Amino acid sequence: MKDRLTAAVKQSRADYTEIRVERTWSSAVAFRGRRLEAATVSEDQGGFVRVLNKGYGWGIASFTSLDELPAMVARANELSRAIRLDEPIRLADTRPQVADAPLDLDGDVRGISLAEKKKLLEAYNAAMLAVSDVVVDTQASYRDEVSEVWYASSEGAALYQLRPEVVVSGTAIARRNGSIEKGLESIGLRKGWRSVHGFEDRFRVVAQRAVELLDAPRVRGGAFPVILDNELAGVFIHEAFGHLSEADFVYENPQAREMMTLGRKFGKPVLNVGDNGAAPGLRGTLPFDDEGTPTQDTPLIREGILVGRLHSRETAAKLGERPTGNARAISFRHPPIVRMTNTYIAPGKAGIGFTDLIRDIKLGVYACGAFGGQTMLENFSFTAGWGHMIRDGQVAELVKDVVLAGNLFQTLDRIDHIAGDFTWNQMGGGCGKGGQFPLPVTEGAPHVRIEEALVGGDV
Amino acid sequence: MIDRLLDAARRQVDGGGADALRRREERTAVAFEAGRLKAAGISEEAGLNLRVLVGGRMGVAGTTAAAPDPEALVARARASAELGDAIELSFPSASPLPQVPTFFDRAANASLDDLIRMGRLLVERLARPDCQVNVAVEREVAETAVGNSAGARGDYRATGVAVTADVTRIAGDDVLMIYDQYVGAELPGDADLEILVRSIETRLEPALKVVTPPDGALPVVFTPAGLAAVLLPLEQALSGKTVLQGSSPLAGKVGERMFDSRFHITDNPLIAGRPASRPVDDECVPSQPTFLVRDGTVGGFVYDLETAARAKTRSTGHGRRGFFGKPHIGYTNLIVGMSPDGVGARHAVPLRAPVLGGELIADIADGLIVDDLIGVGQGNVIGGSFSHPVGLAYRVQRGEITGRVKDAAVAGNAYELLKRIGSFGTDGRWLGSRWSPSLLLEGVSVARR
Repeated sequence: MKDRLTAAVKQSRADYTEIRVERTWSSAVAFRGRRLEAATVSEDQGGFVRVLNKGYGWGIASFTSLDELPAMVARANELSRAIRLDEPIRLADTRPQVADAPLDLDGDVRGISLAEKKKLLEAYNAAMLAVSDVVVDTQASYRDEVSEVWYASSEGAALYQLRPEVVVSGTAIARRNGSIEKGLESIGLRKGWRSVHGFEDRFRVVAQRAVELLDAPRVRGGAFPVILDNELAGVFIHEAFGHLSEADFVYENPQAREMMTLGRKFGKPVLNVGDNGAAPGLRGTLPFDDEGTPTQDTPLIREGILVGRLHSRETAAKLGERPTGNARAISFRHPPIVRMTNTYIAPGKAGIGFTDLIRDIKLGVYACGAFGGQTMLENFSFTAGWGHMIRDGQVAELVKDVVLAGNLFQTLDRIDHIAGDFTWNQMGGGCGKGGQFPLPVTEGAPHVRIEEALVGGDV
Repeated sequence: MIDRLLDAARRQVDGGGADALRRREERTAVAFEAGRLKAAGISEEAGLNLRVLVGGRMGVAGTTAAAPDPEALVARARASAELGDAIELSFPSASPLPQVPTFFDRAANASLDDLIRMGRLLVERLARPDCQVNVAVEREVAETAVGNSAGARGDYRATGVAVTADVTRIAGDDVLMIYDQYVGAELPGDADLEILVRSIETRLEPALKVVTPPDGALPVVFTPAGLAAVLLPLEQALSGKTVLQGSSPLAGKVGERMFDSRFHITDNPLIAGRPASRPVDDECVPSQPTFLVRDGTVGGFVYDLETAARAKTRSTGHGRRGFFGKPHIGYTNLIVGMSPDGVGARHAVPLRAPVLGGELIADIADGLIVDDLIGVGQGNVIGGSFSHPVGLAYRVQRGEITGRVKDAAVAGNAYELLKRIGSFGTDGRWLGSRWSPSLLLEGVSVARR
């Protein structure tokens, strides 16, 4: 396959040509309630060509018919030449990489039968259903894949990557007298079959919580001191800050660039944030991004000061910075765009724990778990799975419908304490941007305290 | 290809039956970034999805291989069926299909230059000092063929065009983004593009001034875009799947009045010129309109073959399938609003330039117009409760829009709010595959920082 790509690149008449070919083997099992919904094996494959000519725009072709590869290179070149540009597109220099980079498959999922995968998921699903009669519905799903990715460019890059992925997730829905609550568990790693066993307790716990939430009051809306647990703090930093650190948001926009000037103060000195695509085994981990740039640990905020951002080769060239290995595509159907990988809030001083964070809070909210989050530029919203009130320095009653909303700049600056208890989230969720969803990413954080944040709920 | 695949299936499944879908899509797209045309692309994709019934169990398999081997695909579907649950599914037999125009020559034949011209027109019309304009124009042609072992066949060609534009204005730390789209099966004319421009302008100008949000239980106008948070719980609850599963609050409520008596929801796959329209669903069931809510009363739910079989009812023709995985329920064109009749051509005609607030604000002493909420779809949607910060919202005082509000959150319960709708707006429009006017809802919780 590598030779086919190299040959096609050589024949291209464009100034710059890159080709990505993917072959993805995947299997999926899903339960809804006690019923098996589906158990399937799929094979998806296709190619992506992108070319650039000096003084012209990007020409792009994606296709499932790999026999057409040379013709698609020619089509992409025609498309590029149809777009004249006054200001040329430049790509930041990178050393063309030649490598075979198979990640550890950790128990190759392709060798495990569908029946065994069904058995595993059935056990997790049963753990949720066994909790109570009011657990009226569950959704449980297992999905794995092994993706082979070939990449070649006219600058001489030639890469082969083998990327595994496995996700097990479950939703328990509890219902009583018209009131409905849910609990969510999800485990997602860039690993294989060996890493998804022994999680019965975690699925049981989320079903129990869904039942308990039926009797919990809605959180009262208003501004409170808020403690985020590790999972939610991770989702928060991804949503509230991560997206603005993607350089494609600023590179063509002078006002946005001013807003995100390196050196600007974003938070108190306790705050350190980064994105690390090279951390081993996590959902957002990759040896090389989809432009062939090696991934790395990129500091974004250091002691409260904005020090970096995430780049593709194009955004890096435009801003005179270095590529960071963050150009990613969800599949051959899409061009690479600037995306996060594994985004984190670095731990505070070792030994600082959760109790130290809540000790002096008279009335506050402990927001836990994440149902999801969304950013709209400087405004964000994220939904906690559940919460507790904090009263006089103690964790008090369970509350539901905890939605946190706010403004990025104000909220980051109000983070005043960070614990030392860092963990990576190992959830199976995905990030969406520019029509590309779900991209495997994850986050990591310790417990984080926000002096004051807006909690939506009953007024 | 469908026939070859069904033949192969017949030889292997021993009288159980099979159905299949083949789809081929080709797409052209251009993208303007910060007002500059920067990229042009094509994509071509073809694939097959097969379902078999073996010994009363269902299995599926799909592929995007260029020259798929029918025998291998059937074997994979059989392996999937071995684990499957028992189901009494019967495939529909051949029947005449309704006529609905889905293919438009101008859209199919649009050249790269045509797309670039439309994009440039929008970029020029939307250009403003200190604003960034992004525009994307895409046209698509898809050929779909479906068939089953009971002899039903359907095939059709469809075109689709999507034009999206957003204007972003950053002033200090205030980021304002206004977005709109044209989606249709036919190429938009200049008048359609002009409506898109006006729709962005009418929301941009009053947004330049930021005012303090109000607080309390207030009248709120949800624009067609802002309604997403209110309608999403209903879309989930009207799916036969959630009804079957016992999680729909509307289960068992057919014939009961659950909403304002002027409120209607219809799903109609037979509207000319809409990209979601088609003569047949992806499981060979002929298309027909489905009345979901009529005069505020629950009329029924949408089903595909499998959920219908399990619920002992008939498929409403809402089976949808991709290349991978099994068919699932999908809506086509959802018409939401005041009038149950004329759910046809009326909704396809070009609309006049919209009035922000749908002429519903004259009697509002203090309230909001909500055009976008952040985080819709997160949380516990089907229960009907929602609570979201505003993405784009305006304050209304004494019948006038006084400016944009930030740092406010809106909360309520869809089922409660739709029991008494204040008024229906005059600004009905398509947004993707949903048609609705603005709705004035009373007593919505508004919290400010």
